[in-house]
Amino acid sequence: MTSFNLDIVTPIRELKIGEVNYLRCPGIDGSFGVMNNHREGILALAVGEVKVTQGGKDEYFSTGGGFVEIIDNSVKLLVESIERSNDIDTDRAQRSLDRAKKRQVDKDPDTNNARIDASMMRALNRLRVAKR
Amino acid sequence: MANLKDIRDRIKSVRSIQKVTKAMKMVAAAKMRKAQERMEQARPYSNSLSEVIEHLLPDIDRERLPLLNLREIKRKAYVVVCADRGLAGAFNTNLLKIAQKEIDEFGKDQVDIFCIGKKARDHFTYRNYNIVESHVDFWAEMEFENAMMIGRSAIDHFTNGTVDEIHVVYNYFVNVAQQEVRSETLLPLNYETNESGPSDRLYEPSKEELVNTLIPRHLNVQMWKYLLESYASEQAARMLSMENATSNAQDMIKDLTLQFNKARQAAITTEMLEIVGGAEALD
Repeated sequence: MTSFNLDIVTPIRELKIGEVNYLRCPGIDGSFGVMNNHREGILALAVGEVKVTQGGKDEYFSTGGGFVEIIDNSVKLLVESIERSNDIDTDRAQRSLDRAKKRQVDKDPDTNNARIDASMMRALNRLRVAKR
Repeated sequence: MANLKDIRDRIKSVRSIQKVTKAMKMVAAAKMRKAQERMEQARPYSNSLSEVIEHLLPDIDRERLPLLNLREIKRKAYVVVCADRGLAGAFNTNLLKIAQKEIDEFGKDQVDIFCIGKKARDHFTYRNYNIVESHVDFWAEMEFENAMMIGRSAIDHFTNGTVDEIHVVYNYFVNVAQQEVRSETLLPLNYETNESGPSDRLYEPSKEELVNTLIPRHLNVQMWKYLLESYASEQAARMLSMENATSNAQDMIKDLTLQFNKARQAAITTEMLEIVGGAEALD
């Protein structure tokens, strides 16, 4: 099976995944797949789930959004956060979900609705991917 | 001459201060190494992001994105990155002096200040400067989230037109023995527009939208770098000043011990003279 190189880079660490066969990313307008010899480009990613197929095994990650850069048959995921499905801290995600829900109800005039929605989406996504 | 007990007490107190400074030095050294590691880890991400941005920006028309607007500069914001604690030599003083000078040059009333670190907050509150936001007490568990929060509010301040330029003043980590106060412009981004030929690459969604989501991320990581640089510098400065304090304490102990011995010698001599004098008087 054909393969290409995948690196995941975040501000606090670099994950060298190595040769993978298939990558599925949460694009802004819906998810898309990347395989060997994909057209070069830069694509924005939303909050969601990243699926990586490597040697017949599937792995799932949750991400907080970012970019994917495809150049010269090598793929780089530039994301602000990435967690492997079984490394996700579900308690923390649940806590931040509860916090966001509470803020939505409290309706403090100073709070920024977009921020609450964003943090809620991140928490829900983490919880969802953790079930994989 | 001071009496023996006084000198002995002083030696004791200097010695215990020396223990404290020595411990602080060790703690600072460990924290500095950690900060340096994190700086290394942040590098690949920020480099790749900068590369992408440099590649994309020349094709973008400044007028079309509020984040790239060049406006006449009527009001500025300063992000002053300082420490929460002192005892780090001239670390805080130097930075605050330079920041204040720059702010005063532009006009104290036309500047909004974002204070990072207690020392910055206290300094500017006391002098009645215009503080919009302060972030304190996060250095111990510093996470990327902190940088994102600070970055976001600074960006909002720029995009809603409150200020026309954002500066960051921070300590740059040159090496362990040297830190340098730097003042950089965070927004608007500096670049040249030019017409490059169409490339075969795929951009999704449009280039403009990409840049629109890219720039905040770029600024967040920039902010993260400033925080790390400042933290590493702070610990390095503290390490050095505690090192000096420890060796000064050593010198003091040496001097005091000498004084103590002299005083003791003098006391013995006087006592002996008295005994001899008394014995002679009996004869």
